[in-house]
Amino acid sequence: MSAGFRSQLLVGCSVLASLILVGAYLAAGGSSYTPKATADPCKHREWRDPGSLQEVAEQFSLSALDGAACELGVSREELARALPSEEARQKFLDEYDIGAEEFAKAIRAGLLRAIQDAEDADALSPLVAGPLRATIEQIPLDQAIELVEDASSAFETFQNFLGPAGDLLEEIFG
Amino acid sequence: MSAADARPRVAALALAVGIVLADSSIVVLALPEIYRELDTSVAGVTWVLVSFNLVMALAAVPAAHVARRVGPGVTAAIGLAIFAGAGFACGVSEELATLIVARCVQALGGAAAVTAALELLPATVGSEKRAAAIWASAGATGAALGPAVGGLLTELVSWQSIFLIQVPISLAAAVPILAVAKHEMATRVIETELRPAGRPHLAANLALAMVSAAIAAALFLLVLLLIEGWRLTPIGAAIVVSVMPLAALLGSRLDPLVPSAKARAAAGAILVSGGLGGLALLPKAEVWLTVPPQILVGIGLSLVLSALTETALGGRAPQAIHGGWTISARHAGVVIGLLALTPVFTADIAQQRDDAIDAGTAVLLDSKVTPLLKIELAGRISEQLDGEKGKVPTIGPAFKPLPEDPEQRAQVETLRDELQDQLDRGATHAFSPSFGLAALIGLLALIPIGLARRVDL
Repeated sequence: MSAGFRSQLLVGCSVLASLILVGAYLAAGGSSYTPKATADPCKHREWRDPGSLQEVAEQFSLSALDGAACELGVSREELARALPSEEARQKFLDEYDIGAEEFAKAIRAGLLRAIQDAEDADALSPLVAGPLRATIEQIPLDQAIELVEDASSAFETFQNFLGPAGDLLEEIFG
Repeated sequence: MSAADARPRVAALALAVGIVLADSSIVVLALPEIYRELDTSVAGVTWVLVSFNLVMALAAVPAAHVARRVGPGVTAAIGLAIFAGAGFACGVSEELATLIVARCVQALGGAAAVTAALELLPATVGSEKRAAAIWASAGATGAALGPAVGGLLTELVSWQSIFLIQVPISLAAAVPILAVAKHEMATRVIETELRPAGRPHLAANLALAMVSAAIAAALFLLVLLLIEGWRLTPIGAAIVVSVMPLAALLGSRLDPLVPSAKARAAAGAILVSGGLGGLALLPKAEVWLTVPPQILVGIGLSLVLSALTETALGGRAPQAIHGGWTISARHAGVVIGLLALTPVFTADIAQQRDDAIDAGTAVLLDSKVTPLLKIELAGRISEQLDGEKGKVPTIGPAFKPLPEDPEQRAQVETLRDELQDQLDRGATHAFSPSFGLAALIGLLALIPIGLARRVDL
């Protein structure tokens, strides 16, 4: 075997080995091995068929998070991490330069969207949806956030707040 | 000088070259440990590596001139003494700034020792070609073994031990050279030929710089991926990256089979780029998937470094000056590679970490566990993330203790695995653009290799 042929063989084998490796890794999904992309909160998310109060409450929370995040122009996930504590919320507001009033407005908008989504999914009666909407416009921010975080635990508070409408709520969700 | 008399000196000179050039990469596996212990940033800790390589790049050619004028024996002995002393200073440093200053001094001593060694070797072995081959292979061996040795020492002893162990080794290497130094000082006769230095081989040195940038990225980024991204211990990472020097040994067997330095240089650059391309496209966060790319990079680096060094030195005199140029080119390449890729990498890892946390939050929100458990887990995960201070976290501890109810336990375990998968995806993907860029730099080295046709590269 001549020296020239060995040179060509070495370069050819190097090209081939490199192409095989890159091709194999691409075929195995190397270009798509990335974290799952977060969904656009402004797009409607289908509700799973709700079977219990807990499931309704959970999907209500997720819809409310989507609605509020859409209003604020952030992802649902970022907003979810900002809600559990006052400190986390303040850090989030500072980071995105969002005022307290704008934040409260977004949370209420999120809750209103959750009511609409619940109605669309036949998980909430229009009879309750009306008073609920009116109530959400009135409740303090802390209670609105509680409702977004965990609607089921907040229903009791809500029920007390609503008075007779609360009994109706329990009947419908119950 | 008889062959038996020359043997200890040749061994000492090879050891000196090996230990100095290993120092360019030996701290790579210790960087995560230094990063945590000295409480610095990724960009800050990179300077432990950059400072050494930068000073080597700047000092190599002047050091070669000094060696030719003062005497290579004296220069090598003093260089090794400085290297040892600065190594001790590195080992006892408690702050990043003092460590970086000590690394600069270490590189000054190292540059003097390495270039003077190339001036001493032809007189010792009786042939410039053989001297160049010994010098190049000692340097390649040191550079290839550096990360694995550094990882072992970091895990078994401490990062400081990497530097402290160099003190007795470099002093031991200096002992056989002292006889030459004494002879030079006593007789004022320098064992070298004072010929004027010709022009450096521009194409070969440029290609060396580009390939070195790509190789530095391969080593530095792979180690960071293994330790910081995939949470391997330094010793585990050392075992993994030892694939590269083993493959380099295999690659060195090809040298005598292919006489054309140009073909070996081109093949080596292609293999280094192909391996880096593979690392940029890892399809899963699994250690064994780094082995095939490492084999390509290892074989490639052995082929390309020896071919280009041989070309840069071939037929050029004096050897020390041209050896100095190759050292300068290689270390400048390392510096450029690190400085160009670190900002890309640090920006990517911050973005990917955020994306992974977002993806993990989405998994948590959409999971089937009860809302109250979700809130509790979210709190524990947040604490875990804060505790990891910006590192890619291990999510497992946030899920302990697991719920006793079998159904909930299974749901939580699924959730934990999904979350960890998202974080692994983020950590792995964060390195992809940097590996891809390094692969491109390696491929671009084919331009100077191709353009060098007229000078028979």
